[in-house]
Amino acid sequence: MRKKGPRRSKWLINTVLAVICIIWFVPTLGLLVSSFRPAADILQTGWWKIIPHRDWAAVDTITLDRETDLRQPITVNGVTFSDAQLREGVVQDGNRLVWENRRARTISVQEKQWVMMTNFTLQNYQTVLGGKSYQITMPDGGTKTEQGSGMSQSFWNTLAVTVPATVIPIFIASFAAYAFAWLRFPGRKLFFIIIIALLVVPLQVALIPILRDYTSLGLNGTYFGIWLAHSAFGLPLITYFMYNSISQLPKDLFESAFMDGATNFTIFSRLILPLSVPALASISIFQFLWVWNDYLVSLIFLGSQPNVQVMSMKIANLVGSRGNDWHLLTAAAFISMLMPLAVFFALQRYFVRGLLGGSVKG
Amino acid sequence: MKSGRRNRVLSAFILLTALAMIVSACGGNNNAGQNGGNQGTNDPQTNTGGGNNAPAGSALEQAYNGDFKGTKVTMFGPFTDADEVKFTESIRAFEETTGIDIAYEGSKEFEATISVRVNGGNAPDIADFPQPGLLRGFVKDGKVIDVSTFMSEEHLKRQYNQSWLDMASMPGPNGDVMAGVWARSSVKSLVWYNKPEFEAAGYTVPKTWDELMTLTDQIAQDGDPAWSIGIESGAATGWPATDWLEDIMLRTTTPENYDKWVAGELPFTDDIVKNAVKRMSEIWFNDDYVYGGRKAIATTSFGDAVRPLFDNPPKAWLHRQAGFITSFFPEGLSADNYDWFPLPPINAEYGQPALISGDIYAMFNDRPEVRAVMEFFTTAESLKTWIQSGGVTAPMNDADPAWYPNEQERRMAEFLQTADTIRFDGSDLMPGSVGAGTFWKGMTDYVSGTADLDQAMQQIQTGWK
Repeated sequence: MRKKGPRRSKWLINTVLAVICIIWFVPTLGLLVSSFRPAADILQTGWWKIIPHRDWAAVDTITLDRETDLRQPITVNGVTFSDAQLREGVVQDGNRLVWENRRARTISVQEKQWVMMTNFTLQNYQTVLGGKSYQITMPDGGTKTEQGSGMSQSFWNTLAVTVPATVIPIFIASFAAYAFAWLRFPGRKLFFIIIIALLVVPLQVALIPILRDYTSLGLNGTYFGIWLAHSAFGLPLITYFMYNSISQLPKDLFESAFMDGATNFTIFSRLILPLSVPALASISIFQFLWVWNDYLVSLIFLGSQPNVQVMSMKIANLVGSRGNDWHLLTAAAFISMLMPLAVFFALQRYFVRGLLGGSVKG
Repeated sequence: MKSGRRNRVLSAFILLTALAMIVSACGGNNNAGQNGGNQGTNDPQTNTGGGNNAPAGSALEQAYNGDFKGTKVTMFGPFTDADEVKFTESIRAFEETTGIDIAYEGSKEFEATISVRVNGGNAPDIADFPQPGLLRGFVKDGKVIDVSTFMSEEHLKRQYNQSWLDMASMPGPNGDVMAGVWARSSVKSLVWYNKPEFEAAGYTVPKTWDELMTLTDQIAQDGDPAWSIGIESGAATGWPATDWLEDIMLRTTTPENYDKWVAGELPFTDDIVKNAVKRMSEIWFNDDYVYGGRKAIATTSFGDAVRPLFDNPPKAWLHRQAGFITSFFPEGLSADNYDWFPLPPINAEYGQPALISGDIYAMFNDRPEVRAVMEFFTTAESLKTWIQSGGVTAPMNDADPAWYPNEQERRMAEFLQTADTIRFDGSDLMPGSVGAGTFWKGMTDYVSGTADLDQAMQQIQTGWK
C-alpha cells in the first residue's frame, strides 16, 4: 500500500505534464509546419494534412447536359440527386459525387485514397530574412525593384535593447536585495513594502506620464530611454526574487566573514553573488524573455524608426498595410524564437534550482 | 588571485555601464535641446502672427531654394511595408532637391499610439490620419496647427475640390480650422469582375440596381453564386459590411440624410437605415447569390474574398471593394484580366454617388520646414510615383491622368470627378466608439445571425452614447 501511493501520484503528475505539453506543443507544431508551406496552400488545407491520411481523390468526370436545370432534381447515371447534395458531395457505392464545375455541369467522381501533403517551400523564411521586394514604377515609366530591409538590423537592435535591459536591473536589484536582506537601516521594512506594492501596479498606467518626462529630457527613441524603462518596470519583481534567494543564505556565513574583517562589498561580491548564481540565471531568463518579446514598451518609448526598430515591431509590420502577408508571420515567429531558446538552453541547468530559490527554507 | 580577478571584472563592468549611460545621456541632451525648441512654438495660437510675417514667397519656394537644407521633419502614420516603400519613393526627389529629411515612421498601431504620443508631448511634426474622425478630437483640443494660417485660400482651392476642403474643415477650440491636407485617396464604390470570363459568359455591365439584381439572378441560374463577400479582418471584422451599407445609404436617401446619419443625428434605428440594410440583405442573405452562402461571409477574410473571381473556372463573379483590392489579386494578373464598374444607382433621383476614403495629413509642430513639407503634400507631385505604381487616386486637381498605370485606375480618377455625390466613408468619420466599434460589431452580428435587424441597429446605436 505504501509503495503504491507515491507511484500513483507520479503517474498522475506525468499525465498532467503530458497533457500540458501536448496543449502547448500541437499549435507550435502547426505553426512550424505552416511556416514551410506556400500561402495558397495554407488557405486550401490544414497543416495536419501533411500526415498520411485517406482522402477523396478524383478518378473520373461525368459531364451532364449543359441545359440541365440546377433548381430541379438532377439525374446522374440513372440516380436522382438534388443540387444541394451534389454541392456537399454524395456517396454512392463507395464513390463520392460532387460538382467539379457547376457552370459547365461537370461532376467529379472521387474515390478514397491514401494521400499526404508534400508541397513545402523555404520562401517564407527567405522573405523574412532577406526582406520583401517591391515593384515601383519610376517617373520615366520603367519599373524598379526595391529590396526591403531584412531582419538583421532589427535583430541587432533588439539585442542592443535586451542585453543592457536585462543586466542593469539585475545588477541594481541584487545590491538592493542584499541590503534588504542583511543590512539594518531605518525604513527598511517600509521601503521593502513599497517595492512589493509596486509589483501590482500595471506598467500601462505609467506610459503617458513617463513619456512626458522623456519628451522634456529628450530620451524618446533612444536606447538609454528604453533601458531605463525596462529596468524600472522590471526592478520590483527582480528585487523581490533576489531578496527571497539571498535572505535564505545561512547567517553564520556572513557573521564569520564580517568577523574576519570583510566589508559589505566584499561579502556581496565574494559570497552572495557566487552563491546566488542559480537565482541570477533564472531571473535573467525571465527578464530576457520579457524584454525580447516586448512590444508595448518599445512601441511607446522607442518607436519604429529603422535604426532603433526592434524585432517584435518589425514582425508586426511584416503583415503589410492590410494584412495581406499574414503567412510570413509563421516564419518570423520561429526566427524570433531562436535567441530566447538559445538563452534558455544556455542557462537552463540553473533554471530549476533557481525556481526553488524563493520557496524552500534553507 | 581568483577573487581579485572577479573584483576587477566587476569594476570594469560598472565602469562600462556608467560610460554607456553617460554616452547615451549626452546623445539624449542634444535631442532635448531640439525638442525644447519645438515646444515653444507648439501652440497654434501663438503662431498665427508668425505666419503672416513670413518673408515673401511660400515656404515651399524657400525649400526649393535650399533654405532648409539639413533640417529634419518627422512623420508618423499607419502605412507600413509596401505602402511605406512607395511613400518613401514618392518623396525622394523632394528630399534630394530641398535637403529636408522626412523621417517617416510607420506603425500598425497608429490609431492607439498617436493619442499616447500627442498626450505625452511627443507628437510627430506631421501625422497621417486615414480616419478623420480620430483627427477631429485632436483639433478640438487645439493640438493641431491650422494649415490655412500659412497656405493661402486660393492655393488650397486650386489644388482641391471644395468637397475635400469642406471635409478638412473641423471645429477647433476657437472656431473652424483647416485641420490638414488630403493625400492619397481611394474610391470605394467599385464592383470588380473577371473581365475575360465575364465577357465570355455573355454578361453585360449593369447600369441600374435592377439590372444588377437581374444579373445576379442570371449568374445563379447559370450555376454560380454571383457575389464573393468576406468581412473578416481580425479586430476590425465587419468594416467591409459598413462600406456596403454606406454605399447603399447614398443610393437610397439624400446626401443630407447621409451627413446627418454620419453626425449621429439620424439614428441607426431609423427606417431609412433599416431600409438600406434590407437592400443589402437581399443579396447577402441569399445563399444562391453569395459564394459559400451567408454563413461564409463573417469568416472569410476581406482580402481572400476576391480570389474566387480569378479561379479557373471562376467560383464567383462580382466583388464590391475599394481600389486598393488590386494588391490582393492573385499574382500574375495583368490589367487585362480584371475590370470594375461603379455600384449602380438604386434610386435615380440620387444619381450616381461615389463613396471615398482618404488620408489627411495633419501638422502638430510649426516650423518653416514643416510648412514647406505640408505645402509639398498639397501638390500631386508628392504622389506621382505612388500613382504610377498603382493603388491610389490623387485628391489633388493637378494630377496628370497619364500617370495612372492602367485604364482601370484612370477611370477611377474620372469617376471621382463625374460622380453626382461624393461622400467620405461614414464609419471613418463617426467617433471611434461607433465607427470602429459598435458599427463593425453590430454588422458582424447581423450577418452571422446572432442578432436580428432591430437588435443589431439598437446595438450599433448604443455606441453614440
